[in-house]
Amino acid sequence: MKQRSSISFLLIFFSISFTSLLLSSCGEKSMEGMMVFTQVAGKIQHQDLWKNNVPARIVAIDPTHPEVSVKVLTEGYYSAHSPEISWDGKSLLFTAMQKQNDAWQIYEMNLSNFKVRKVTSSGENYTNPVHLPNGRFVYGLLANPDSLNTGHPLFTCNPDGSDPKQITFTPNTYLALTVLNDGRVLALDKTSSAEKQQNILMIMRPDGTKAELFYQGSVGSNLVSSVSETTNGKIVFVESTENKSNITCISYNRPLHSRQNLTSEIKGDFQSVFSMPSGKLLVSYRSPEAKRYSVYEFDPETKTLGKAVYTDAEYDACEVAVVQNHERPKKLPSEVDFGVKSGLLLCQDINFLDPNFIKNSPVLQKAVALEIMGMDSSMGIVQVEKDGSFYLKVIADQPFQLRALDENGQVLNQPCEWMWMRPNERRGCVGCHEDHEQTPENRVPLAVKNLPVNVPVHIEKIIEKKISLE
Amino acid sequence: MKISAKKIWILGILVVLGLIIYFPGHKLARAHVNYRTGVEDHPLLCLDCHLYIQSESPITKMINEDYYSPINMAVSKDGSRLYVVAQEGNALITVDTEQNKVIGKIGVGLLPHSVVLSYDGQKAYVSNQWSDNVSVIDLAASEVVDTLQTANGPSGLAISADGKMLYAVNTYSSNVSVIDLQTGEEQKRLDVGNNPTGIQLSPEKKLLFVTSRRANIAPYGEPVRTDMTLINDSSARNSGFRTLESAHMAENVAFTPTGDLAIVTLMRPKNLVPSIQVERGFMMNHGIGIFEQKQNGRIIQLMLDEPNAYYADPFDVIITPDGKKAFVSHAGVDCISVLDMDSIRALINSSTPETLKTYENNLGVSSRFVIKRIPTGANPKGLALSPDGKKLYVAEQLQDRISVISTENLEILTTIDLGGPEKITVSRQGRRLFANAGHTFQNQYSCYTCHPDYHEDGLVYNMASKDMGRNLTNTQSLRDIGKTAPFKWNGKNQTVFKQDGIRFSTVLTRTEQFSYPDLDAIASFIMTGIQYPPNLQHNPTGELTEAQLRGKEIFERSVDNSGKEIPVGNRCITCHPAPYYTNKMLRDVGTLAATDDSIRFDTPHLNNIYASAPYLHDGRAATLEEIWTKYSPYDKHGVANDLSKIELNEMIEFLKTLSSPDYTESLKKEKHTENTSN
Repeated sequence: MKQRSSISFLLIFFSISFTSLLLSSCGEKSMEGMMVFTQVAGKIQHQDLWKNNVPARIVAIDPTHPEVSVKVLTEGYYSAHSPEISWDGKSLLFTAMQKQNDAWQIYEMNLSNFKVRKVTSSGENYTNPVHLPNGRFVYGLLANPDSLNTGHPLFTCNPDGSDPKQITFTPNTYLALTVLNDGRVLALDKTSSAEKQQNILMIMRPDGTKAELFYQGSVGSNLVSSVSETTNGKIVFVESTENKSNITCISYNRPLHSRQNLTSEIKGDFQSVFSMPSGKLLVSYRSPEAKRYSVYEFDPETKTLGKAVYTDAEYDACEVAVVQNHERPKKLPSEVDFGVKSGLLLCQDINFLDPNFIKNSPVLQKAVALEIMGMDSSMGIVQVEKDGSFYLKVIADQPFQLRALDENGQVLNQPCEWMWMRPNERRGCVGCHEDHEQTPENRVPLAVKNLPVNVPVHIEKIIEKKISLE
Repeated sequence: MKISAKKIWILGILVVLGLIIYFPGHKLARAHVNYRTGVEDHPLLCLDCHLYIQSESPITKMINEDYYSPINMAVSKDGSRLYVVAQEGNALITVDTEQNKVIGKIGVGLLPHSVVLSYDGQKAYVSNQWSDNVSVIDLAASEVVDTLQTANGPSGLAISADGKMLYAVNTYSSNVSVIDLQTGEEQKRLDVGNNPTGIQLSPEKKLLFVTSRRANIAPYGEPVRTDMTLINDSSARNSGFRTLESAHMAENVAFTPTGDLAIVTLMRPKNLVPSIQVERGFMMNHGIGIFEQKQNGRIIQLMLDEPNAYYADPFDVIITPDGKKAFVSHAGVDCISVLDMDSIRALINSSTPETLKTYENNLGVSSRFVIKRIPTGANPKGLALSPDGKKLYVAEQLQDRISVISTENLEILTTIDLGGPEKITVSRQGRRLFANAGHTFQNQYSCYTCHPDYHEDGLVYNMASKDMGRNLTNTQSLRDIGKTAPFKWNGKNQTVFKQDGIRFSTVLTRTEQFSYPDLDAIASFIMTGIQYPPNLQHNPTGELTEAQLRGKEIFERSVDNSGKEIPVGNRCITCHPAPYYTNKMLRDVGTLAATDDSIRFDTPHLNNIYASAPYLHDGRAATLEEIWTKYSPYDKHGVANDLSKIELNEMIEFLKTLSSPDYTESLKKEKHTENTSN
């Protein structure tokens, strides 16, 4: 009798446990396959929505029943945009302004239960948050969004907003776009002066090291959308030139020389693009006749638009994405060591010239020195070795430019783009006017036979922690 | 249903005892694993260490499998048969190409490498790299009918234009055996480049090209140069060398049908550039060398890599009979590159010497002639074409499979399973990881890239872990290193788990570190799966010559030539005791350079030391002799300055005989069997 009652007790216990488990899982709906995008009620005047003062909201729809399934994810915010979905499809990052004229802050939404968590809380403006593979977020910090003179750097932080770390250190403004499968952060470099507008994408490791040019659009080009990496090694984004915006496709393997305009034959404008596992793209597109941007499917192979997936007469649809579980990008190790105050920069030959450059500049003089330019003043002049090499120990996290000097101290050419070195970063370049596809010649640069030159040059010794040999 | 109080007590005691053992036991196990792995979160999986990295336990032998590991192939004249060299199966496998099925297997010598068919198609010759011979197979009878002796480590094979001579490339002894096929006798040996492998007879049947994998030994800082050896077929004489500048690992060579170009696979290491980054091709590039076959013909190098994608470990190259396409297998990234030969010709014909010089290091140029990359199974090595050139066969070494690719639409038509084990063991998985560049940023290099044949590449690198230009590092062999911990020249890594852990990814592979299951697999392979080749060149029978015996006495001596006792710490045998000839301790042997940090060096193991030039931690000694004649002036590296030239030579002759304990044991057994049968 006693045994029977024990069995009954166990049965009841397991039934209750099973039912509660079932009920708790019912509460967490999967968003897999749902389409998420930003709806803008006013007119999109600027590709950076944080510069628009028009209200925007993030919505989700079931693409199989688009008209009846619209769910507003950011109810109660004055404006919300820049949705970014984690690779496991479980979380949504976005930027939002709670009330009009509040600062833009970063929020994270759990896509299982739609609970929202505020990641940042300060008077500054945060924008374009992106998930990093190590669990942190990368974002842009806009101390003063109206200022074009101040650079807006990229930062990373923990998921709760703690431990913010600046990773770019130039006067340029950067906007995080995506993390590529190789683990690097792709960012828009808004260096463009008023005279020379150009879409420039920079790539860097999540700790800000090894930053380099990834893609350069033609003069006058402008990045309109975020960037999406396809499953077949392509990278797509919307780029505008001469009052028309098109979908540009580049190859990951050779981004600087593989530009392809996928929509040159299609009239109308594109606002955003997202790559789906099927190989098709989801785009927000507005035909010349239409008033609003709608969501369409686009076949990059045939370069044709499919039928509209979602359209709304009241709103423009942009920043389209789909909730899907995909492979996590690589988690790159970091060489940054905050116990070290400098980074090491090696150039193999300041006089190395790409034959194409020689063709365009027939009169060339050899550089014998270089000047390191800081933000406000020169950081010193360094003689290069006979083989053209130089080896610098540069104070970390400071912007600098390099310019080559001839034997008379005359500047040979314009300084290179702004650079920075992270603490303990080691970095190399082939030359100053190298083709970005050139690898170093296999020889020992004379410069590494001596100790590196400290930069700024007036510093005699940089005292830093002892690094043990690997 | 009453449980007695006694039972409850026993149960209680057992639980308490269990808890007493579990908690401190768990703590001890955690501390042990933390020490072994150098990290604090490696899972406590006892089997990973105590089973998978043990090479000698009976259970280990039970859980491991014998794979075929196809490497090279030949196709019959009518295309109906494909002959596949199963490197670890020690066999030649016959495949029916109509049915795409294995129809036979013929046992050959140890570690066969290549196969070539006689012009009448009746015989196959298979080089046996670890037996120092060539198996002659009667294909109709499917049996070995003769064995031809070669020098050490035969690999590539070619038959002379008249069909009378067989050329066998001897990789380990760096020469070519010329064997008379009538008599089966080796007629002569021709000196060729360092560590040769591939050989091809030109279409006009005059010259043979022999590739070299290792660069010529040179002091660090001197350019890396690798020889292509030319042999005159009619005279069977060496007719000169042509040098590949800044390149090495030239595995194989192919001629265009017209013979105007010879194409060789190669790598362009950046070992002289401090290893500060992987980005922008700062560590290793991969490509082809093109030899123009005309008066003052140029030697051109073109990269097959792309700016953000590298194609590691090119192994074989083959050109279609119409000369339109070339195929290159990339063992490190599991794919085949398809090259358009007309585009290559147009490119090199329209380029100035200066531009071509730039192209040698250009990652963008491949887009002008690579028309496709075809994914394959694990570790594609040898290539073969059907006689009509329509089918390309790819030996997928670590997949135990042959892929068949259409050379017209460049798609895989089918795959042929060779019948090896379906199960992938932990060690095999580790070998796949070792040979694959997927664990390096942008696939720039695999472990195999710097450790070809799981050995070493003969190069010295500036690893620049601290400052650039400092702490040069001679690549060390991985053969049988399982029992010779600690690892690295500075002995900082007590296990392979630590060696290949997080710091490895930070300073070397520069991408995500191995997952722990992958780390355990690669440790299993490195600790158990890499054997020394038999030392057939210097110790073929286990019997030392008189000179070698005298050398052994010198090596083991305790008094010098003046009768003075040598301090224990300064005797060779103290730091280099058998069976691995290392005491596994750190030592200052007076070789610290001004550019080295102040460290002592891990005593290296000496078995098969003859095959590991250059020597010392920074590779400064080009030969074993130089260790004492140039780099030990104060007898800090053992007392040797009292030795005469002859005595030193004898000691070196002895050192060259040092072999794997397994090999020495097998020789002893062989001798014992011989004695008992007599």
